[in-house]
Amino acid sequence: MMEIDQFGIVTFNSTHHAIKGESAFKSSNMAFKTIPTPREITLSCGLSIRFDLNDLEKVKKLVEDGDLSIKGIYKYIRDENGSRLEKIL
Amino acid sequence: MKIEVDARKMECPKPVIMTKKELDKIGSGTIVTIVDNEVAKENVSKLAGSLGLPYSVDKINDNEFYINIIKGEEETLNENPQVVPERLKDLVVAISSDTMGKGEEELGKILIKSFIYTVSESSPYPSCMVFYNRGVFLTIEDSPVLEDLKKLADKGVEIISCGTCLDYYHLKEKLGIGNISNMYTIYEKLSDSKNNITIG
Repeated sequence: MMEIDQFGIVTFNSTHHAIKGESAFKSSNMAFKTIPTPREITLSCGLSIRFDLNDLEKVKKLVEDGDLSIKGIYKYIRDENGSRLEKIL
Repeated sequence: MKIEVDARKMECPKPVIMTKKELDKIGSGTIVTIVDNEVAKENVSKLAGSLGLPYSVDKINDNEFYINIIKGEEETLNENPQVVPERLKDLVVAISSDTMGKGEEELGKILIKSFIYTVSESSPYPSCMVFYNRGVFLTIEDSPVLEDLKKLADKGVEIISCGTCLDYYHLKEKLGIGNISNMYTIYEKLSDSKNNITIG
């Protein structure tokens, strides 16, 4: 009886870009969280931004307008079968 | 099988030890531990939680609590709703700073957020997290990790902040999660657990 959990993840090209990304998210009105990049995406010690999938369009715009150097955007799904990722961008 | 453990008038950690002893003896059954104070009630409940056993608490009055712990598949005769704890492990995480590691503060602050998020996403959870020195900046109302700590507290993780430290930084009124404690409790938590991680 596990709850199904879904959220979006933005990954960056470097830690510095992730920190820049974090401040861009901070100045937007979106709810987000800076998290370690899930192991399924990369084993390197990266930082990512976790966001609500309802904000996907806003996030895409933020990335574009803020000239953020991102590596990718993913959808993270966790349910009774474990966790998996879908690449969005 | 139902065994009663009368641990009233017993000094901490006696109620926990007595309960554990009885739980170890039986294959399955119910242990009812009676204690006379809130702290002992919490500690015995935490024991059940750390063992992954369902339990319920009946509060008779401020000086009488019955903690029913069920081991094995015994049918429950208790009509009270049971708390089924998420599994906790015998691990205490001590956090001594609001940054992780030495170096640039900007990076350290992000790392500690990452760390606490990771703890909150990794079951089984630690039984206890202790915050001291600048670590208490993480347990106040405007902490950047308050949400993650709340999630951990909901899962039964004990969150303890050093009172001396809150006082020193004038944050006592601003505590956002968990309880205030002193060095005796901090030492007790660290020394009673098999595993500790210190981050700072």
